[in-house]
Amino acid sequence: MTTMTYLQAISSALRDELRADERVLVMGEDVGVFGGAFKVTDGFVEEFGGDRVMDTPLAESAIIGCAVGAAVVGMRPVCEMQFADFISCGFDQLVNVAGRMHYRQGLAVPIVVRLPSGGGFSGGPFHSQNPEALFMHSPGLKVVAPSTAADAKGLLHAAIHDPNPVCFMEHKHLYRRVKGDVPEGVFETPFTARVARPGSDLVVIAYGAMVDVALEATSDLEGASIEVLDLRSLVPLDEDAVLDSVARCSKVVIVDEANMTCAAGAQVAALIAEKAFEDLDGPVVRVATPDVPIPFSPPLEQAVLPGVDRVKEACRELLNY
Amino acid sequence: MATDTAAPAPETAGDAAHLQLADRVELLRAMLMMRGIEERAMSLYRQGKVPGSFYDGYGQEAVSAGAAFAMAPEDRLCILHRDLAAHVIRGVSPTRILSQYMGRAGGVTRGRDGNVHFGDRELGCVGMVSMLPDMMLVATGMAMAFKLRGERRCALTWFGDGSTSRGDFHEAMNWAGVQKLPVLFVLENNQYAYSTPVNKQFAVDPVQRATAYGFAGVTVDGNDAEAMFEATRAARERAVDGGGPTLIEAVTMRMHGHAAHDDMKYVPRAQVEEWRARDPIERQEKRLVGAGVDVEAVRASVSAEIQAASVEALAGPMPSPDDVLEGVFCTGESVPLGDGRAPWSGFAGEGDA
Amino acid sequence: MSSSTTESLSASHPPTTVDVTMPQMGVSVAEGTVVAWRVEVGDRVAAEQTICEISTDKIDTEVPAPVGGVVAEIIVGVEETVEVGVVLARIATGADAGDAILPPPSAPAPGDAILPPPSAPEPGDAILPPPPAPEPTSPSGRRRYSPVVQRIAAEHDIDLSAVVGTGRDGRVRKQDVLAFVDANGAEPAEPPMHIESPYRPDPSPAPAAVAGARVEAASPGAAPASPGADGGGLSRMRRQIGQHMKRSLDTAATCTTWIEADMGRVEAARARLGVTALAFVARATIEALREYPALNAWLEGDRYTRVDDVNLGIAVSLGDDGLIVPVIHRAHELSVEGLAARIRELARRARDRSLSADDVAGGTFTITNPGRYGSIMATPIINQPQVGILDLEAVVKRPVVLTDPQGTDSIAIRPMTILGLSWDHRALDGVLSAQFLAGVKRRLEGVVV
Repeated sequence: MTTMTYLQAISSALRDELRADERVLVMGEDVGVFGGAFKVTDGFVEEFGGDRVMDTPLAESAIIGCAVGAAVVGMRPVCEMQFADFISCGFDQLVNVAGRMHYRQGLAVPIVVRLPSGGGFSGGPFHSQNPEALFMHSPGLKVVAPSTAADAKGLLHAAIHDPNPVCFMEHKHLYRRVKGDVPEGVFETPFTARVARPGSDLVVIAYGAMVDVALEATSDLEGASIEVLDLRSLVPLDEDAVLDSVARCSKVVIVDEANMTCAAGAQVAALIAEKAFEDLDGPVVRVATPDVPIPFSPPLEQAVLPGVDRVKEACRELLNY
Repeated sequence: MATDTAAPAPETAGDAAHLQLADRVELLRAMLMMRGIEERAMSLYRQGKVPGSFYDGYGQEAVSAGAAFAMAPEDRLCILHRDLAAHVIRGVSPTRILSQYMGRAGGVTRGRDGNVHFGDRELGCVGMVSMLPDMMLVATGMAMAFKLRGERRCALTWFGDGSTSRGDFHEAMNWAGVQKLPVLFVLENNQYAYSTPVNKQFAVDPVQRATAYGFAGVTVDGNDAEAMFEATRAARERAVDGGGPTLIEAVTMRMHGHAAHDDMKYVPRAQVEEWRARDPIERQEKRLVGAGVDVEAVRASVSAEIQAASVEALAGPMPSPDDVLEGVFCTGESVPLGDGRAPWSGFAGEGDA
Repeated sequence: MSSSTTESLSASHPPTTVDVTMPQMGVSVAEGTVVAWRVEVGDRVAAEQTICEISTDKIDTEVPAPVGGVVAEIIVGVEETVEVGVVLARIATGADAGDAILPPPSAPAPGDAILPPPSAPEPGDAILPPPPAPEPTSPSGRRRYSPVVQRIAAEHDIDLSAVVGTGRDGRVRKQDVLAFVDANGAEPAEPPMHIESPYRPDPSPAPAAVAGARVEAASPGAAPASPGADGGGLSRMRRQIGQHMKRSLDTAATCTTWIEADMGRVEAARARLGVTALAFVARATIEALREYPALNAWLEGDRYTRVDDVNLGIAVSLGDDGLIVPVIHRAHELSVEGLAARIRELARRARDRSLSADDVAGGTFTITNPGRYGSIMATPIINQPQVGILDLEAVVKRPVVLTDPQGTDSIAIRPMTILGLSWDHRALDGVLSAQFLAGVKRRLEGVVV
């Protein structure tokens, strides 16, 4: 066990995998000599060489397409989009080639696409996106979103071991702000949800950076016992965990940092409405970023991203319903 | 300058230096198989037995037959919709191909994808997607892995003139060039992308683009199976020796419509007639007759095989909806592509070709 | 790949016909027009031979014969436009191995068999209206309850109008109903039983009559609409029940006797077995009837018949729709658990309106068990032509005097109930009634825990 930041946990996972499995290949823009835009792969090229920590051309479609090609001849590529936002340039390869390959052809595509996502630091519309819902909607892609350092490492190991394409949503805001105890060596975290704090009066369902927001907003709210469920895995979605929390708490607030319409939380809400109807003691409430591009200037950005106050207010209202 | 009606490369005698007679017969056989299967499938399509749309490579058989013939068992192929001969050479049976067209359970994709969107992964073939030329990047990635691991093998992909206008073409060419990868890009210039002639597609002679990305480009008579073979064989040698990629522009003509529902009225009849005289199968037959081969016997044998295959394919069941939801994810180990059939005599008694 | 067609169709291979259908030339094409026929009926054709020309939105093309044979039928004429998959012609061919017959696919090809139309519902199916949902009112107006609150209330048979809401605008929240459950010690709901007591609250106007009508009338017809609270006639169902009750009171010399019983052992045993107190009372009643068979009888006019079998009727309330008394035939053969299961089943079928005429005929004795609402005694009306009816009301914790073997008295808290027996004085006397009741009491208090 070591205490490390979320970012160090991701580095640790990559490093351990590169050491343990010669099939693993890290590829992306500026990941080699520069050590990565966020320094996730700092020092890697010295240890593993420029072949295995590959500086690619500026070509997202090619990064993903070549990762697919390498994967089907036996490698385990972990490719990186410098910002999750740029996945739009590689959307076709991810969704049509990688995602649909196994269903159609029985050919597995074991790639990981690391996607530094999320806002909160004036990144503006093209460096703050949370595009995970687009991939939840596309059959054949798995999607995970850790909120803790330990989960960042464990989920990344599991993603690399998974024979399917996995979108790894690593939240930029958590890189250096989240610290925790992380087991050393290679270990896997299952693609399931995690109860971040148990409770009984109401449950807040969140993932990624919103988990800490939820925990902070509900740590001391009028003495109520509020559960926080960290989804961790969006595809596969841990239905049992969601339904279990709702059965016990009967009141639900779902928090999305992504734009509200058709975000992951919308799917969770639909699931609850259908399968947990008789457990509900109030409407399923969502707190999400409205459907706007994430603005650049701090007061604008803070106004749209869900923060502690908005989550608190939603919980308070629902508790009193 | 734009290519109007592409003048094919000068008529070659076919470099017989690398081809035994049996190889040359095999080339004919593969082309006959492709044409015969496609003709049978077209008939079935008109009988309502092939759902969806139907595409063929009539008149272009040499492009896939010749190039695929130069591929070693350990090489990997991304095959496109007018390249059926490549599947045949790699070892996919006509029964499975016809079943695939008809959406039967015995098809290569078991009904999951249609017409030529298939690739037998056990034979080293990757099934195409409809977005073109996505597969160029997959081939580039395969070549990248081979180079990283120091393996003497290559990847090959076909793509059409139209698809070179899209971003993935350029990303693949650039990546392959900058990393000097063992990938062969076979550009099937058949003059039309659906109804768009090449002079509306690009402003250059496409083979020139190779230079722009830092590697060799060569134009080949796409209707000469032996010339295609030779060009591909040479390019493969360059690739596995570390010489990087090659763009092989195979000049040919799409003799049928874009698909069965397209009557290609937009193609000038004169152009069609001009290319009919250069039919790849006729040319190969002429060569072989000249070499004393009983071409009729080859035809008959192919015919019989296809007939038997269609009876068998038609007898096969449709896939059951019971498992339609399965297979979205791989739940076991991921298995890489396997080796395919490589009938060229040059691969016999292995060393490296 | 043409083949020679057979010259004759042998008797052992009867001719089969193969359909030629309009092909789909392109994904978006939905129909085609026949432009010309190249063959006529009776012509011999080879497989793959062109038999007609068609025109579609995308392309004009030819249609080949799928098989060699003789043109048997030409169905679609020139210039006719039909949808993809429609049969254009038929080719007759002998089922001989020599033909190039393409065997039919094992599943229907597109354009094959037309599915039969879905069957219409049977005209005789009666759709019975469900009983109206309880609608509690409160001074502030109509209350709405969340799904979880309704579920919990149903599980514990709670009247939500009695629950105080602490949510917004006085809304009943989950914790409110749970708190109510805890405070009142309510048990999981048993099927509600009929209350025959005249102290029953005024029934709300009955809706359309349902299965209960079968008991009395020959044909279950639709009843007239229920009257409003401002008066109007009684429903047919209500009238029939009323007539039965009145007739019973007019016929029998009805008396009622009561006895108290300590249900402590029954409470303990029923918790262990997971059954209701009613099942124990039923078992005790059956045994007491064996001991005092005079009560297991029919009295019609002057004719008095003792019956060997105990066919035990259990009164079931259908809410506003009235009541019905399904019968457990040969109840003496059932154990406590068996009786409990039969009671549950009959009550369910009663509420589903799926009882048959046999289910309500042949009863020799009836038990009625309101229980739920807290009433302690009643004067039930005998179910004609029986001579007795036993009423089981609430089990209530009371302070009672217990005397120990030394004769010392003490006060204990015991779950007590009052069993009431209405009996027909024409058939028996009070002594027998009292003895019978004592027999039931003794057995209840002696239940093996």
